[in-house]
Amino acid sequence: MAEVTLSRVRKNYGAVDIIHGVDLGIDDGEFVVLVGPSGCGKSTLLRMIAGLESITGGEIKIGGRVVNDLDPKDRDIAMVFQNYALYPHMTVATNMGFSLEHRGTGKAEIAARVQWAADILDLSHLLDRYPRQLSGGQRQRVAMGRAIVRNPQVFLFDEPLSNLDAKLRVVMRGEIKSLHQKLKTTTIYVTHDQVEAMTMADKIVVLNGGRVEQIGAPLDLYDRPANQFVAGFIGSPAMNFLTGTITAEGFAAPGILLPLPEAAYEFRGREVVHGIRPEHFVPDDDNGVPAEIVLVEPMGSETQVTMKLGETQVTGIFRERVSLSPGATIHVRPDLANIHLFAADSGQRLN
Amino acid sequence: MAVAQDHARPESRSSSPFWTIARRDSLAGFLFIAPQVIGIIVFVLIPLGLVFWYSLHEWNVLANTFTYTGAQNYRMLIEDTNLVEVLGATAIFSAGLVVLNLSLALLLAVLLNQKLAGITIFRTLFFSPVVVSLVAWTIVWGFLLQKNGGINGMLQVFGIEGPNWLREETTAMISVIVVQVFKNVGLNMILFLAALQGVPNELYEAARIDGAPASRQFRRITLPLISPTILLTSIITIVGSLQVFAQIAVLTQGGPGMSTTVLVYYLYQQAFQFHLFGYGSTLSILLFVIVAVLTFAQWQMRKRIVFYES
Amino acid sequence: MKAELSPRLKTVLYGVMCVLLIPFVFPTWWMVTSSVKPISDIFAFPPQLIPRSYDWTTYSKVFELQPFVRQYWNSAYIAAIVTSGTMVVSSMAGYAFARIRFPFANTIFMIVLLGLLIPSEVTIVPLFQMFLKAGMVNTHWPLILVPIFGAPSVFATFVMRQFFVTLPAELEEAARVDGLGRFKIFRKIALPLAKPALASVAIFTFLHSWNLFLEPIVFLSSANKFTLPQALTQYTDAYGGPMWNIQLAAATLTALPVLIVFIIAQKQFVEGLAHTGLKG
Repeated sequence: MAEVTLSRVRKNYGAVDIIHGVDLGIDDGEFVVLVGPSGCGKSTLLRMIAGLESITGGEIKIGGRVVNDLDPKDRDIAMVFQNYALYPHMTVATNMGFSLEHRGTGKAEIAARVQWAADILDLSHLLDRYPRQLSGGQRQRVAMGRAIVRNPQVFLFDEPLSNLDAKLRVVMRGEIKSLHQKLKTTTIYVTHDQVEAMTMADKIVVLNGGRVEQIGAPLDLYDRPANQFVAGFIGSPAMNFLTGTITAEGFAAPGILLPLPEAAYEFRGREVVHGIRPEHFVPDDDNGVPAEIVLVEPMGSETQVTMKLGETQVTGIFRERVSLSPGATIHVRPDLANIHLFAADSGQRLN
Repeated sequence: MAVAQDHARPESRSSSPFWTIARRDSLAGFLFIAPQVIGIIVFVLIPLGLVFWYSLHEWNVLANTFTYTGAQNYRMLIEDTNLVEVLGATAIFSAGLVVLNLSLALLLAVLLNQKLAGITIFRTLFFSPVVVSLVAWTIVWGFLLQKNGGINGMLQVFGIEGPNWLREETTAMISVIVVQVFKNVGLNMILFLAALQGVPNELYEAARIDGAPASRQFRRITLPLISPTILLTSIITIVGSLQVFAQIAVLTQGGPGMSTTVLVYYLYQQAFQFHLFGYGSTLSILLFVIVAVLTFAQWQMRKRIVFYES
Repeated sequence: MKAELSPRLKTVLYGVMCVLLIPFVFPTWWMVTSSVKPISDIFAFPPQLIPRSYDWTTYSKVFELQPFVRQYWNSAYIAAIVTSGTMVVSSMAGYAFARIRFPFANTIFMIVLLGLLIPSEVTIVPLFQMFLKAGMVNTHWPLILVPIFGAPSVFATFVMRQFFVTLPAELEEAARVDGLGRFKIFRKIALPLAKPALASVAIFTFLHSWNLFLEPIVFLSSANKFTLPQALTQYTDAYGGPMWNIQLAAATLTALPVLIVFIIAQKQFVEGLAHTGLKG
């Protein structure tokens, strides 16, 4: 087990910069999720840590050791790939023991380690099967088994759940999380799915265009996104954004005027983006502003309502059942304790 | 692992070893390709250079002289009246072979692509000549094509007097083409069959719903979709047809007259029977140029005839 | 095209295929049956589709007139070495061209592909001179070295490369993380998965070597060194005319073993050759 440190890590292919100087410290035993839209460089960064991609500049340390020019096999890491990358011509047991075989581990020791991993992952009855005879979830577990038998310093996961169906994804999410709690091995996990990031991470790193947008605990990112990108990326359904100006009366956007908390008035006169999460709309027939309902989607536990606030279409989530139909008017107000203001030009958080 | 020790320059973050991951991989790559590349240099590129070098010389094996004569062999090539006949025979042979081979291969592939019981038995039998030793196959056909051989015997049963196939100019050429077609058409058949099976069935179903008759389906769906395979097989078959040697050597020895003397056979005669190595080399250059031009031309044509490329 | 066929159409199709089969199957039948006919029946009229009388001495004559066992061995061992050698050389080169990043890889690959464009007949004259200088004429070296390393192996390399290109990169990356170097990845991961491609390489390399004709007659001059295709043409009488029934007996001995192996393993043969990466 080890801490991982990235300092000013850069990567380019010819003239194209993929990673623009990433700084990141990961503590021993921490579960870190790299998240971002496709093409943001999260997989490249993970592969640089693994040693599968060369490092153009900066330094990567694993357990205090600079690994820039080390082969993957000398970095003491294990990786779970998106397509599992199980060796099709080997049984589950051989797949799992393969890396130990090449590190000169004795036969008995290999068998013991494989059995240990198989027990943890509930694979004991499948050890003699070939990968093609397994279901998606079982393959996923074998891939994890292959990683844990070696007891490496760091686990790397590259979108490991993206090939599973929605139901299985939730199950495996839990299994990976509990595996981490059991083994306490430093883990770096790449995903484009912000739900996975939120539910699994000790610490989330949001990447965009090869840059770190924000690093923090899941709820910190949710409650206080550092900029408009993170605000829009974390949370589902996404945060609503209204562009407008702060006036003496409140927040003025085309066709609407919203109340603001006291502290927001220090930005009076500025052009801002006002962010409101869907669950932070409160129905209020007395003090709310009118919104025209466009679409009502009852989910059972809650109701998702698409409505027009002035000229901007926004999404609201209400615990109460909404019995209104499209075209009707609902009165809502933003929960003033939970609003987000971003500078319209830079997108950086203001409040 | 090479680890730089005492030469660590203070200004760099850490002196990276010379054998970086990328460099080690490059070295592995070069080692992996070395046998093949050295082989190509020794057995293809150097001989190709030598052929050209020889073609500029008069080489008398008996007197053991090797004199530079510049373009003389090439002048000889242009003035060689035999060569006109040889190139004519080569053209007829190649064209006949390619047309017959590809159309028969396509016909057989379409037949084999039907849903019929026992179809793999037919496939196996149509393919079997490919694995029969080439010279054995040629010898049997030579035997069958004798004046009093099996084919004429059969014809006589029906009261037809067959020609002396290998001893008359027209029938000799037809014979060598046909023998070669039946020997190797199975290969192209298999390639076409694989291509046909690669055409998604939904396309035919869609066409049927659109009311296209079978012949239209074949022209508008099948042919365009297998056109990459047609191009590829035609290149392979043409280049292969220019290399046909054993059949000619065994069946006709280039005769009667020069009617079946194709370029390769002529080259062999000049170089190894008449020991004209210089002129033989010039003919080799000619053969190389023909193959290169044909391949290049067909490759260029692919944009016009290949409707679809995956 | 895949619609259910009517019974009448089926009958017609079977009929057409049976007629078309004649020139593919009959020669082999004629070869085998004629090889055991006495010389007087060879050109008998009407043709005897089934021999009326048998003369098995043709087969003993095959071995008396020529060192046929020796020639058989020559062909067999040359084909075996060429086949295994080509599998090694071309799988390594094909792997590197498909999967390893090294400088000038594409340029070198294009140069290697030149070998596909150059019929071996083009280079036969200088190759003869080169092997003459090396003292290797009338030995089997030219028939072994040129196919393994020269132009004939290029097609095999091409086929292997087309196969390795399709191998998922993640498999190799997993192996790297698991602690394997390049050579071990090749040996333990890539090669075992390449069995189908290797099988087709083995089949067409073997057939190519087994059928080689121009090269043996250029390079070999003594009967003891001859390979089978060359030997078959040597069964001639004092006037140079072929001794048909003996020649056909020798041809049968040459063709039949391969044919039998083919019929047993026809699926591998046909599908192997169909998948020789020609889709790529």
